[in-house]
Amino acid sequence: MIRSDAEPKARGALEYGTDLEAPGMLWAALVRSPIAHGRIVRMDLSPARKMPGVVAVVGPEDLRTLLPKAALEAERPVFPLDEIRYRGEPVAAVAAETLEQARRAAATIEPEVESLRVDARIEDIFPEWPSPAAAKDPRVVGHVHARFGDVDAKFRSAELVHSETYRTSGVHQVAIEPHACLAEVRNGTFHIRSSTQTPFGLRDDVASILGIPESRLVVEGTWVGGGFGGKGAAFLEPYAVLLAIASGRPVKLSLTFEEEFELGRTTLPSIIRLDTAVHRGRIVARRVRLLLDTGASLPGRDFAVGYSIGFLLGPYRTTAYEIEGFALQTNKPPFGPHRAPFAPQSVFALESHIDGLARRLGVDPIEFRKLHAWREGDRTAYDQPVGPIGLEAGLEAAARTAGEWRAGLPSGHGIGVAAGFWSTGVGAGGEARLWLRPDGLTILEGEREIGNGSVVQGLALVAERVLGLPVEAIRVEYGDTATAPFDSGVFGSRTLGALGQAVEKAARSLANTLATRAGAQTVQLEMKNDRVLVVAGRRRQKLVDLLTPEERAAGGIEAHGKHYGSERKIDASRVVTGTVYPYQDFTAAVHLAEVEVDRETGHVRVVRYAAFQDVGKAVDSASVTGQVEGGVVMGLGTALSEEMLWTPEARLANPGLLDYRLPRIRDVPPIHVEAIEGFAGAGPFGAKGLGEPPIIPVPAAVANAVADATGTRVYELPMTPERVARALKLL
Amino acid sequence: MLIVSFQLVQPSTPEEAIRLLSRSAAGDIAVLGGGTDLLSDIEQARITPKQVLSLRNLPWRYFRWEGNSLVVGSTLPLRALELDPHVQRRLPGLWEAIRDVGSPALRSRATLGGNLGRCSPASDLIPILLALDARARIVGPSGVREHPIDIVLQESRRTSLGPAELIESVILPSSAPSAYLWQRVQPVNDISQVGVAAAFVPEGPHWRIALGGLQPRARRLSEAEAMLRSARPTHLEMELAAQEAARRAEFVSDKRATESYRRRLVTVLVRRAIQTTLDRMPKAAHPRKAAS
Repeated sequence: MIRSDAEPKARGALEYGTDLEAPGMLWAALVRSPIAHGRIVRMDLSPARKMPGVVAVVGPEDLRTLLPKAALEAERPVFPLDEIRYRGEPVAAVAAETLEQARRAAATIEPEVESLRVDARIEDIFPEWPSPAAAKDPRVVGHVHARFGDVDAKFRSAELVHSETYRTSGVHQVAIEPHACLAEVRNGTFHIRSSTQTPFGLRDDVASILGIPESRLVVEGTWVGGGFGGKGAAFLEPYAVLLAIASGRPVKLSLTFEEEFELGRTTLPSIIRLDTAVHRGRIVARRVRLLLDTGASLPGRDFAVGYSIGFLLGPYRTTAYEIEGFALQTNKPPFGPHRAPFAPQSVFALESHIDGLARRLGVDPIEFRKLHAWREGDRTAYDQPVGPIGLEAGLEAAARTAGEWRAGLPSGHGIGVAAGFWSTGVGAGGEARLWLRPDGLTILEGEREIGNGSVVQGLALVAERVLGLPVEAIRVEYGDTATAPFDSGVFGSRTLGALGQAVEKAARSLANTLATRAGAQTVQLEMKNDRVLVVAGRRRQKLVDLLTPEERAAGGIEAHGKHYGSERKIDASRVVTGTVYPYQDFTAAVHLAEVEVDRETGHVRVVRYAAFQDVGKAVDSASVTGQVEGGVVMGLGTALSEEMLWTPEARLANPGLLDYRLPRIRDVPPIHVEAIEGFAGAGPFGAKGLGEPPIIPVPAAVANAVADATGTRVYELPMTPERVARALKLL
Repeated sequence: MLIVSFQLVQPSTPEEAIRLLSRSAAGDIAVLGGGTDLLSDIEQARITPKQVLSLRNLPWRYFRWEGNSLVVGSTLPLRALELDPHVQRRLPGLWEAIRDVGSPALRSRATLGGNLGRCSPASDLIPILLALDARARIVGPSGVREHPIDIVLQESRRTSLGPAELIESVILPSSAPSAYLWQRVQPVNDISQVGVAAAFVPEGPHWRIALGGLQPRARRLSEAEAMLRSARPTHLEMELAAQEAARRAEFVSDKRATESYRRRLVTVLVRRAIQTTLDRMPKAAHPRKAAS
């Protein structure tokens, strides 16, 4: 089946953020800080105002006159009012008739600055592992500490303690479409069109930054050329709105690729320490410690560390444990989500550690995982019940394939396994309106397709399954935040699982109404000569014949579906400090990698790959394959080559795709994808979210394969040839 | 990044091109071959030319065999050489180096002349051209001259070409068993951390070893070549040549690799390049011992 957006996308007929235009539109450019940390002593905007074509120039001083007072008190003001916190932070913005004029004018503004000490790396802040008292350091913007059981005693009496430290690097989402938006003021209302994953979230975010009521903001999402977590929160929109107010004209702002890298809200580096106590062949206690660079993030932001740290405990049965994480402020751009935020990094550390421990114990790594793996009914570290999860089934499937690969494995090759779990965002709410007309069905909702098909394909297939109407007769339509039903947006692999439930409910309600009117238990819909027929038992009738006079006048029948998640409880007594995050809708992925390692240069080649993915129920098997393949390829980048390189002055040394190395097609091995069904999730028909899980185990699977091939473990991501060569002690 | 404006001039004869270059002040005019480097130079404001002179309409998009020599017009896209089975068979090292430049799209634009003119220390083509004794044919206001590329190349973005001179063609005097090996983080569209070319040419001294990825530019390593005293060097000789190459090469640490890793790579890749070249020698034609 070909997706409805495939052909117009191939023809270039759809409008992305970078394509946006409006009559009388101006182009915007940002003036960016030349230093990573410091203060603006003086900034003269007048040279830019004198440049040809310039219509508006705005800086920190203009917030006072152009925006309500609340904008100055916003937690994140549009421009820094006091401190510059990262290199490239926008300090002013220019709007001009052409893009060239805007950029030329922006280049004439040279703020006079006073530099402050730069914190570029975690090690600059804490050369030694911090004690809990270190949480008082103002650069600690998040501190999470939780414990359960008598950890110290279990470590003392254990037969073996396995202790390791891992390091990971910053990775960028690299959506092929840069961030882009267009803002205009219409009759006192601010209209924003933007390439965003979350139109409603963006509206609320922009409202709080600009200090204006949400009711005066309307956000319309465009088609999105890749999000991967990077197009969630407000980013460029406040600058565009400010310039639109100042100029009285529509203003378009989009980033260059270099700016994408230099301003990007990305995953940042971490240091992870893991200690595991083993007694009689089983894990009895664990200590997990995490130092997470969160860049110029603000204090009170322990979400990044509180959410991430749970993944370091893994999908394994709870033993006594202690976890402690610090979110550290450095002079890099603020931390941001990247497909399964920080999970591939956590799982790299954890699954490398578990694998090494199994080898140290002389136990098969898959069997060792099975011994501890979650099954339905187990309790999580925070004492939540584990729902249906295809983890053991995935491990068993992987063991079979690993056995086949092992027979006839060439020398110099190795096989690695890794497991991961994910908690999809089905708790975040959403609503959908269905509009059944005599010639077809329209689904109206407030989320845009970001490329994976969960909206255009997934939601339509849910309606098809319930109503029987072929997907070709179903259209998904998007409104803006003023006309569409509310939805939380595309994140946390939630579209099918959460918004899909709203569509399912609306479709069932529609079917029930029609069944009642047809005097039947159930009905199905079908299309004949472009007309909707209602089938009840052997009877077929035209839809119009079942409509009320009002519905006939209105042109169809409407149904509404809502899904809002319920609150999830955790055992709060286990939390000492900060916030940990509960899980929901458990899903698992087990991956297998075969690699060839050049023992003289450290170069790693992935020879073949297999992914066993718990999907609950596959709604569209082509989409399952597509998502898993995409996740694996992206994960191979995190594993082997992608790395943001910062200098000691917190300058990004590789702001472009020449030295930030995405996987290319020649790096991609054959990928075997196997969907595991039968462990029902919260979504329609038992479906589970699939956007993020397939990237999670990839770096760990590759690392374990490298260890299998060489007998040597690599403790840092990405595993570039030079890092592997160092691990192999070649230099 | 700024959007820039310049005037594009497209002469159709070498004489016209030289005349245009002679009339312009240096810095005001930039020469466009394939444009693969020029584009980013302009984009990053490394140069701000008023005029860009395209070589596209010059009659230099050709290659031909003259006996054992291969003559390549300087504006021929690399892709044309890559797709030629004779180039692959007769000059395997050159073919290998060309095949691994950038991506197919880039090779459909990039040219040999541009690569020499740019003289990047990371060039994948210069090491193998050095190993194969390539010569450059240069045209300019005072006529035609021909030199080994070793004399023409100086350092990054610098050659011995005069301001109004252009490389017309590159001459590879003889077919030779050869190999080019590189190390990169990724095989495609990445910059080599180290490149090693080896060739066994009929004219003595037979072995040629050239390294890329070092400052100020790729160069031959005669000290390493001297360790290879026969057409069939022993394993020890290969090892010594590799060690000597690693010792003599002037590497630096940068964001792509540390100096010590580059040195490590040279010891491995020089040995492998010699071995690969040996494997490519026609079995019957193996001289038992090279004349010394």
